[in-house]
Amino acid sequence: MRTVVELDGVRVEYGELVAVRDLSLSVRDGELFCLLGPSGCGKTTTLRTIAGFESPDTGQVVLDGRTVTSLAPYARDCATVFQDWALFPNKTVIENVAFGQKMAGVGKAKRRDQARDHLKTVEMGDYEDTRPAELSGGQKQRIALARALAVDPDVLLLDEPLSNLDKRLRETMQLEIKDIQERLNTPMVYVTHDQEEAFTLADRIGVMNNGRLMQVGDPETVYDDPVDEFVESFLGNSNFLSGRVVGSGADRRDTARRAVTVEFPGVGAQIQIATESGLTPGDDLTASVRPEIVELSPSPGETPTSPDGGTQEGTAERRADVEPDTTNRMALTGAVSDVVYRGSSIRYQVDIDTGEGAELSVERSVTRAPDLSTGDRVQLSWDTAAVYYFGPDGARVRA
Amino acid sequence: MSDVDTAGGMRRVRSVLQAASGGISRTKLLLVPLLLFDLLVFVAPMGYLLRISLAERSVGGGALQRGTWSLDGYQYLSDSSVVTTVFTWTMLFAVVATLLAVGIGTLYAYAAWRASGATRTVLLAGVVMSMFTTLVVKVFAARVMLSPEGVVNDTLLAAGVLDSSLLLVNNEIGVLIGQLYVVLPYTVLAVYSVLTGLDESLVEAANDLGATPVRAVREVVLPHAVPGMAVGGVIAFAWSAGAFAAPLLLGSTSERTVAVEVQSLLGQFNYPAAAALAVVLTTVVLVVLTLGIVLLRRRGGLRDV
Repeated sequence: MRTVVELDGVRVEYGELVAVRDLSLSVRDGELFCLLGPSGCGKTTTLRTIAGFESPDTGQVVLDGRTVTSLAPYARDCATVFQDWALFPNKTVIENVAFGQKMAGVGKAKRRDQARDHLKTVEMGDYEDTRPAELSGGQKQRIALARALAVDPDVLLLDEPLSNLDKRLRETMQLEIKDIQERLNTPMVYVTHDQEEAFTLADRIGVMNNGRLMQVGDPETVYDDPVDEFVESFLGNSNFLSGRVVGSGADRRDTARRAVTVEFPGVGAQIQIATESGLTPGDDLTASVRPEIVELSPSPGETPTSPDGGTQEGTAERRADVEPDTTNRMALTGAVSDVVYRGSSIRYQVDIDTGEGAELSVERSVTRAPDLSTGDRVQLSWDTAAVYYFGPDGARVRA
Repeated sequence: MSDVDTAGGMRRVRSVLQAASGGISRTKLLLVPLLLFDLLVFVAPMGYLLRISLAERSVGGGALQRGTWSLDGYQYLSDSSVVTTVFTWTMLFAVVATLLAVGIGTLYAYAAWRASGATRTVLLAGVVMSMFTTLVVKVFAARVMLSPEGVVNDTLLAAGVLDSSLLLVNNEIGVLIGQLYVVLPYTVLAVYSVLTGLDESLVEAANDLGATPVRAVREVVLPHAVPGMAVGGVIAFAWSAGAFAAPLLLGSTSERTVAVEVQSLLGQFNYPAAAALAVVLTTVVLVVLTLGIVLLRRRGGLRDV
């Protein structure tokens, strides 16, 4: 497939600050590519580098097969939809939309006709002679989109275009943008910090952190197969348990494989993880337990211990019930410390009895939510194979 | 007891005021002090000036004959070819100075707006600092710098740009430079103040849609700057039409402005003619400015597609 945007080893520095580090990515023709990351991760700078507002200190920018690294924004065939829309306040809606074609030297009648078509595309045909100041946020958004589409760009760049809108409107506009993208087949690079937005829109997602592109893939891949602890924490909404490797040797079930034993003091459990990675005793390891893999049920007929942990026999002896030889499930007990009603779902905070008493968060949709209230005793269990493990450098530890 | 009296008094004052205002709203009443001030410092002196311009010239001694009515002052103006020449030159000078002031001032303000950090501070400080000195000192400094042995000529000669000294004083160039030196800070600040309200991303958006930097200025920056340019233009025009110090110190006898001529008429004890010339100048400036503002408002800036 044809590549419309190619960044090759791009680095952008602002004095001491490195905004983008050695970033390479390619956007294919006709796809909607989301750059996703927290604020300050360099995603907007990356977009501005493609548009030509920033010039990279090293690296190349290639648009549609043409190297444009040193070209000014007006000489590049891309168009940007800005976060604050940047509509020209002294021009009417149609003058705004026709602006790009005016700069390209298209005659007045022709560019107005084209602008009218683009206004119809974004369902704003009735607002030709309105001034931007008289429009609502959603309407301004549509005009900004039409104005950028009107120059028929090789690639459309969108810089958090919906972040100034309320949630409902944002969701409507997401679907409309996706619809327009599919109809016109214009490749788009869409910058957002909202993972739900990225999942809704993107054909592929590039997750950025600290100026680096951490992972690129379709939404399912980056969600189901995160390569890195950051990606997991940014997308997974997960519970993180920190642990430490306390031993290594042969896997108990399959002695041909290597495995490491990891202690998780937060829940007071030791488990064996089969892995070929070179983890040695003393290494830090983080486990990500996603809420959806956790089984949550009320403890059958157990008398509640006192809230502050009952008998104080020392944490070392309060071992969790893990039987790696017979099953690969982790089973824990705890007490509900908080129940948060979130509309369509309910989130339970559970204090684990064992270890240092880590707090885990489990979310259930209202229809299948167990009837629990604060102080109730619960049992938690999960398949240890469904847990993601990340090594000391944040990289995924694979089996 | 006194409290009751005060309250009653207040009520009475208010009712009297309301009766006097004939139901005019309170907001309008707030304008009264302002109007009184205006009357005192503007309308009264102008009325007095108008009155003098309509008095008879005194023949022997004294500036005018009190209590007399005559159009002699205006008659003198229309008869004198010198006055006509001076008036024409002043208007031409004011228009050229205004155009240059607005043009250079807008460029300067745009440069200051695009600059950042220390550069912007230096550019703006340069403008504001020049306003710390009085008019005469400023114009005299300009004379020293522009004179044949002054800094400007010396530098240009030393740099090899010139073969011989340029005459920059005692001619219209000197007057123009001096006058620009006086009015430019005001046009720069007037334009800069409206540019601060312009979103920089608009310029980026224009560039992004294919506008070269020059076209982006034409399409986005200038339309936004128009109100500031208009205010700067009004200041520059009013001040240049009434220019006195710059033509006197940097010009010769052929660069006489109306203000200089008024002074010379006063020296000849022709008060009615001097007042008449002042009245005519004020009227012309007011008419020109009113026309300009009406025109600008009707066009609504530099809009088009």
